[in-house]
Amino acid sequence: MKRSLRSWLWRVPIDQEIDEELELHIEMRTRELVDRGMDRKTARELALSRLGDVATLKRTMTDLGRKRDREMRLTLWLEELADDLKFAFRQLKASPSFTLVATLTLALGIGANSAIFALVDATVLRPLPYGNPDRLVALWENSTTIDRSYVSPPNMLDWLARGQSLEKIAGFTPAVGGMVMAGADGNAETVSRQWVSAEIFDVLGVKPIAGRTFTREEDVKRSNVIVMSEGFWRTRFNADPSVIGRELRLDGSLWTVVGILPRDFQLLGETSIWAMRPITNLNPRARGAYVLQVVGRLKPGVSINAAEADLAAVADALSREYPQTNKGRGVAIQPLHDSLIGRDLRFTSMLFLGVVGFVLLICCANVANLLLARATVRKRELAVRSALGAGRRRIVRQLLTESLVLSLVGGAMGVAIGAAIFRVAPSLIPQGLLPATVTLSFDIRVIAFCAVTAFLVGLMFGVVPAWKATDFSSAEVLGSDSRTMTRTGGRLRGLLVVGEVATAVLLLFGAGLLLRTLLAVDSFDRGYRAESVLSMLVDPLGSKYPTPASLQQFFDQVEAEVAAVPGVASVGWAESLPLDFFDAGGLSFEIVGDPPVDQSQRPSTEYQIVSPTYFSTLDLPILSGRVFDRTDTRDSVPVCIVNEAFARGLRGRDPIGLKVALRPAGSPQAKPDVREIVGVARQVKGRPDEIKDFVQVYVPMAQDLSDDMFLVIRPTSGRAEALAPSIRAAISRVDTEQLVSVRNVMTLEDIAWTATSRHRFRAVMVVAFAVLALVLALVGVVGILTYSVQQHVRDFGVRRALGATTNDVLRLVVRDAARVVAAGAAMGLALSAATGRLLETLLFGVSPLDLQTFALVTMVLAITAAVAIVGPAWHAARIDPATALRNT
Amino acid sequence: MPPKTPNALLHGALDALILKTLTKGPNHGYAIAKFIEETTEEAVLVEEGSLYPALYRLERRGWVEAEWGTSELGRRAKLYRLTETGRHQLAAETATWRRFSTGISKVLFSR
Repeated sequence: MKRSLRSWLWRVPIDQEIDEELELHIEMRTRELVDRGMDRKTARELALSRLGDVATLKRTMTDLGRKRDREMRLTLWLEELADDLKFAFRQLKASPSFTLVATLTLALGIGANSAIFALVDATVLRPLPYGNPDRLVALWENSTTIDRSYVSPPNMLDWLARGQSLEKIAGFTPAVGGMVMAGADGNAETVSRQWVSAEIFDVLGVKPIAGRTFTREEDVKRSNVIVMSEGFWRTRFNADPSVIGRELRLDGSLWTVVGILPRDFQLLGETSIWAMRPITNLNPRARGAYVLQVVGRLKPGVSINAAEADLAAVADALSREYPQTNKGRGVAIQPLHDSLIGRDLRFTSMLFLGVVGFVLLICCANVANLLLARATVRKRELAVRSALGAGRRRIVRQLLTESLVLSLVGGAMGVAIGAAIFRVAPSLIPQGLLPATVTLSFDIRVIAFCAVTAFLVGLMFGVVPAWKATDFSSAEVLGSDSRTMTRTGGRLRGLLVVGEVATAVLLLFGAGLLLRTLLAVDSFDRGYRAESVLSMLVDPLGSKYPTPASLQQFFDQVEAEVAAVPGVASVGWAESLPLDFFDAGGLSFEIVGDPPVDQSQRPSTEYQIVSPTYFSTLDLPILSGRVFDRTDTRDSVPVCIVNEAFARGLRGRDPIGLKVALRPAGSPQAKPDVREIVGVARQVKGRPDEIKDFVQVYVPMAQDLSDDMFLVIRPTSGRAEALAPSIRAAISRVDTEQLVSVRNVMTLEDIAWTATSRHRFRAVMVVAFAVLALVLALVGVVGILTYSVQQHVRDFGVRRALGATTNDVLRLVVRDAARVVAAGAAMGLALSAATGRLLETLLFGVSPLDLQTFALVTMVLAITAAVAIVGPAWHAARIDPATALRNT
Repeated sequence: MPPKTPNALLHGALDALILKTLTKGPNHGYAIAKFIEETTEEAVLVEEGSLYPALYRLERRGWVEAEWGTSELGRRAKLYRLTETGRHQLAAETATWRRFSTGISKVLFSR
């Protein structure tokens, strides 16, 4: 009561309040003086003067009054808030099962969202951990046949020197294999390494935690210098500061350690050491050596587009000066962040966020449903409050406070769930999905996200039920029985559940497509038939085997030694493995004797060096012609075997006997490598999700040699992994100094598994969320059916009393369920059909409108609906007419 | 100009007097001033320029509450009412005043 008077008082503007108050004072004083015999005019003047300077007085009072009102409003607001909170907690405590279900639902939704937000934050939102990351760009060369190739060092330096847009530039080569570090005990170990140019750390703005980074003089003097990562320094050298300045023997030569880089710094792929690769004063031929991935720092204020135009002009000039190497070569440029994260990862992150967003919507709908059901029950209570003078606004606010308490408690639990997901998540995320520059962290940003989400969610699921609950359109509420007023609430609840079902269907459909994609990439024909093959990269040191002949001899000896190992059925060599193709850019080719083709129109092919036994080891059939043999030597006719895609390109001509001229892509003038086709091999997959069969040329190891090769071993029986130790021993028998770096020991199965891991990750995640969505929707359907049965208890009772059978009653429940589920399914499937296309880039071997997936989703939904019906139907069937009629 | 108040109130005393006045029931500003003058037999003249700001301050502190009522003239009047905290405050100030005046008296009336 007091409060309402006070609030009524406030409605009087402060000026008026003061004027009235003072005027009353003056008037009463005047009357008093007049009563004492003064004339009215003098009396009023005296009364006024006794107040002092009225203008100042008013100002003081206004000031004080304003402050008073402000504080009172705040106090009142806080008091009301405290009241509302107390009320909310009391209400929630009064119905613990409702509170538990609602908060758990929200916790699930918010928890899933928080974990995915952490992923999106790391990949899409957060800037790179480098200085002024918005000025960092990635640069490539391009040509008519290749969108992006690595960059030759002289070109890179010219882009900087001749262009106007770059402040600094540097390059690195990530996938160059480790360096062998000789230890004091005589044992060698392989240390992961990246080649970098001297200024790379300056470009990125990374400061060493000890020592320094490389200098320009070291580049010019071609010094052997390295910096190492903090992690390696700590684990391998126990954080010994005297390592700086020390010389280490790596790959047989001495390298000086000049600095240590902070733990969290990585470029592409993790590495322990960065070795400086000199790039100034190189041999002119280096202009054709495309070896560097390049990062640059734009001058302040230069846009990507301006830089692109500027560098295009430089590339143009270079192509005129050095037509031999640079003809047709341009520059491609992209913000470094975009290039590191990549479209695929960005899309996957956003896809997950969308999916969990939908899950959260379903959670909201469920909680809104619960609130609506409660609102029906509480309507009478609220109507009483309203009748006692509480405004609608006040009651809505009270109900909203309740929703917000629910959502914030749910949010807090959600943070805990998110943190738990986060703890196990790294083991689920496939290696290589996240670039090393991206670090997932569950930090204050994620918690802030949860808080904001919880708040919005609380408003979202709270507003409508609160509004509906306070819609006392007539006095009917107080007197009427509970059925008449629930009709609109019931309809709204039905719509919410339809929406839930539709959303769940949409997610199920997406999950189905991704699952079918995973099945497709897991079960496709890889081309080779061997079930179990072990592979390992053998990377002998160049200094030990300087000539191709000595290297060939080493490989031959290893092959002979390994073949003699018990349990080994077959041994071969290959430069690369199926499903593990490094996108090398390929070669362009022409068939000798065919009419000349313009260079930009020439087809391209992958080039793979293999040993004669490669085909038999993988059980890769030669479809026609012959396999390589001992007669193919360095001095005999250069030969090659082509794959099916290559043969198809010949349009019916027999490939055997044709001669093919191979040139590095982008060097159309180079002297071709001409080889005679002696056989056709069965197609293997280069990547699990390749759409077009890739064109491939196999070349015998005897006629060309790579300095690191994969050894492939097929066991006579059993698991290939078991052979690894005895094969290592065999290799070490060949190279007694053990200066051989053997790594990437994996079976072809492992490689295939890794190659499909992205698809698996996406499918597993989306399926998991879709199942969660389905379960939540199921809860929603069960809720509404139960509610509907409760509402119709009397109805069912009457029907039973009039002779309806259990079946008739059940039919009513089923009809209700069918209506909701069918409407939801129809909506969901329509939405799926409309939006499936968005997933297209992630799909393989399945169309976005896949009918089987539609059928599968419908089936899953039908089963779910059946499950949903059981409880409520049981309830309805057990209604006893007598009790039903008595109790309602 | 009115004559300077003969006995200027000690700091804080006005607050106490207002609170005391309101123990008789809600009243408006003029009545409060009048009551103080009459009770003290005009030994203490309330400086009216400071009465209203004092009332506003008391309201702000929550010692008094304001509400609209009707004056003797039948006009709308802002009435002040002592709150529970105001009552406690008055008790505290009364005790302080008693200690203070006893102390002063002891000195002044000592032989």
